[in-house]
Amino acid sequence: MSYGILDLAPYVPPMRLERSEIYAAIGWAVPSLKGLATGERAIANWDEDAITMGFEAARTCLSAVQKPPSRITFASTTFPFADRSNSGIICSALDMPSSVRNEDVFGSRRAAVSALVRHFETKADGLLVASDCRDAKPGSAQEMNYGHGAAAVLLGKGRVKAEIIAASSIHDDLVDQYRSRGNRFDYALEERWVREEGWLKTVPQAIENVINEAKISTENLDKIIVHGSSGASRSIAKKFGISQEKVANNLYSSVGDLGTAHPLLMLAEAVKHSNTGDFILMVGFGQGADVVLLKRTKEKLTNDWDFESNRRVVKNYTQYLSLRDMIAIDFGLRAERDNRTALSAFYRKNKEITGMLGGRCTKCNTLQFPKSLICVKCGASHSQEFESLANMIGRIKSFTEDWLAYTPFPPYIYGNVEFEGEANIMLEFADFGPGEVKVGGHVRLVFRIKDYDNKRDFRRYFWKPAPS
Amino acid sequence: MASGIKDKVAIVGMGCSKFGERWDCGPEELILEAFDEAINDAPVERNQIEMAWLGLFFQEQSAGKSALPLSISLRLPNIPVTRVENMCATGTEALRGAVYAVAAGACDVAMAVGVEKLKDTGYPGLPERSKGTFDDLWLPNSTAPGAFAQLATAYSEKHKKNPKDLKRAMAHVSVKSHANGVLNPKAHLRKEITEDQAMNAPMVSAPLGLYDCCGVSDGAACAIVMSIDKAKELGLKNFVVVKAMQLAPSNGLEMSNSSWDGSYLLTTRIASERAYKEAGIKNPEKEIHLTEVHDCFSITELVVMEDLGLCGEGGGVNAVLDGKFDKDGKIPCQIDGGLKCFGHPIGASGLRMTYEIYNQLLGRAGERQLNAPSVGLTHNLGGHPFRNVASVSIFGLI
Repeated sequence: MSYGILDLAPYVPPMRLERSEIYAAIGWAVPSLKGLATGERAIANWDEDAITMGFEAARTCLSAVQKPPSRITFASTTFPFADRSNSGIICSALDMPSSVRNEDVFGSRRAAVSALVRHFETKADGLLVASDCRDAKPGSAQEMNYGHGAAAVLLGKGRVKAEIIAASSIHDDLVDQYRSRGNRFDYALEERWVREEGWLKTVPQAIENVINEAKISTENLDKIIVHGSSGASRSIAKKFGISQEKVANNLYSSVGDLGTAHPLLMLAEAVKHSNTGDFILMVGFGQGADVVLLKRTKEKLTNDWDFESNRRVVKNYTQYLSLRDMIAIDFGLRAERDNRTALSAFYRKNKEITGMLGGRCTKCNTLQFPKSLICVKCGASHSQEFESLANMIGRIKSFTEDWLAYTPFPPYIYGNVEFEGEANIMLEFADFGPGEVKVGGHVRLVFRIKDYDNKRDFRRYFWKPAPS
Repeated sequence: MASGIKDKVAIVGMGCSKFGERWDCGPEELILEAFDEAINDAPVERNQIEMAWLGLFFQEQSAGKSALPLSISLRLPNIPVTRVENMCATGTEALRGAVYAVAAGACDVAMAVGVEKLKDTGYPGLPERSKGTFDDLWLPNSTAPGAFAQLATAYSEKHKKNPKDLKRAMAHVSVKSHANGVLNPKAHLRKEITEDQAMNAPMVSAPLGLYDCCGVSDGAACAIVMSIDKAKELGLKNFVVVKAMQLAPSNGLEMSNSSWDGSYLLTTRIASERAYKEAGIKNPEKEIHLTEVHDCFSITELVVMEDLGLCGEGGGVNAVLDGKFDKDGKIPCQIDGGLKCFGHPIGASGLRMTYEIYNQLLGRAGERQLNAPSVGLTHNLGGHPFRNVASVSIFGLI
């Protein structure tokens, strides 16, 4: 049985920042940014992070899968938690059985591709999630180049969409960029040096290993995925005599560089736009290289995606800085609320809060959230069984745009949402702007940050209705 | 067989502080201001008060927990004092405690005091509060205007009201209350406004603009109650009698089940039905002469008129625009200016409403005096439309 990719899905947040906005705001200080000021990049909203974006990719990836994967591996360089299992939160949000193994992998932008290679070596089945939410210093090239987003692949044996043929890994401590512990921003070195000493030396070596192992020639390759700059990918293609049209679009102009998630994002796009039998070569780079050779099968893709759906454009650079918590706007005394989480209460209600599980009364069949001891409709005691509302479509019954309540992105929009015509929940909305919510409109639930506790450096998550 | 509270307890003295931004007063000054008026009004001395109830909501922001703020402020002679809190029904709950104690025969004379010092928070609006360790994890960090704005959207949707017409009726509610407030020296806001001003005011929570919202203020009110027998024994002739005091808290249905459509206040309907029964009122539209209702927002008052049965369901917009609840209307509402002009020092509001009914029934309302009303109703709604505590009380003459 073939081993490879059973399913895959990317997630790019709907928010965009036009790079010309960055230049307009900061070009006075760094005129050289002008050359980078084209296209746009994806921005995580204030309530998104590596976990929520990774979850969204994971959920889409598993949407047609009945059986839970045996393990979930989560790769990122921007985990919100250094000590608390980040993949564990994704497992809870996916309502995975407790027997599903989970692991966080990190330490390099190639962490996801490395993990994929590790899976391949043992033909392990599992879900691999990659997500990054890298913020960059205002005025840096990274601020222009980076984007926020995630991707997930389900690996295993069976009717794979793309078979993994060969893989190779090389370590090489070429410090092209780094971020020390406790620092928020990356420190990047000269791009020409990185290209010549890194991309054009380490990567070709790994590519050759893979090509030799697969006993094909580079001429057989139909698509090469290089997540670096266009300069890097073009140089690699040229080095191997591969025509430029076989170089996969790096999506920098529309979403930006998603870090750890970028190779998988490009892979998802490459698989979507390839033909049966195509050879796809994927490169993961960062203090060494991982290279994977895949072959597209005839299996049809289960999931589809459109990065432009529900697209919103950040108004200006100041708004972007504020949404990413890089400028301290005075939001008034309401923003001073103490959001301490009672973690023992949270643990008792983990299924409700992280899993979005409500209760279904076994006596009268009424769905309700939260699950309660006594049925809201028939009054039966201890009659409810957990039931997930996470993938239900809700109908907006009432809402408000509240300019008084604190939110990092005013107005604070919330309202009553009805599920299955009976369960009614008052919820905070996500990804809607003023004038965009309508009574009777349909929404889907997304897993987001609900509150930050800045005093204790904690964040809590819950579900919000978003455009469906 | 229980017979309810009707005609068992008399209100024999009341006081109400000036409401407003009382920068120079703490809760103790406000309490004393209301108490002094009430004790001077009542036919008893302060040492005849045997038990007391204190209504206070935001203890963290003002006077602190327990009986102590009242007992210490008034240097009460160590009589039993119970502090109660039931959101915006807190003041009425203090009164209910005192009334029930007298009705039970536990004492002859009892006192209810409600107070709230909101203007020490450092900002306008109500302070943020925790909803409890579990609810904080998932409920929106909503504000009162945001929650009540949804009453307007759901009401428009249900009754197919053009939002503009509804907004005009809401504006009428506020214009009317402001006109009433001008005549009340104890009101916080004493300025007429126009319908255009109300319609075009800055938005707080769509569709509620600035003039759709009541203010935030400091204030206190006080009632002294005694048994009817005791009142007769003292030879009193002119006093107000409690006809009904009912309370209905949500049981969670509104916020978790779609059988509630968000367009009305379920608990107000339940509490008023019970109160009418307790008071023996068959036709509220005819038998209730004036009301003081919980107009935290203009939309609340409009919907409450329907929920109290003072106009037909879906008929609120027309009834309001026709002036049914104006000063010279059939059933005047907020003749004192309401929460709209008094602001809403939470613990005090229920007793402030009772104070106006008390004065109107006794013919002592000065420039605001209506033509010999004999039955008045107060209503509080604590919390949000989807989860609240409603109280309905009816007062009359013996």
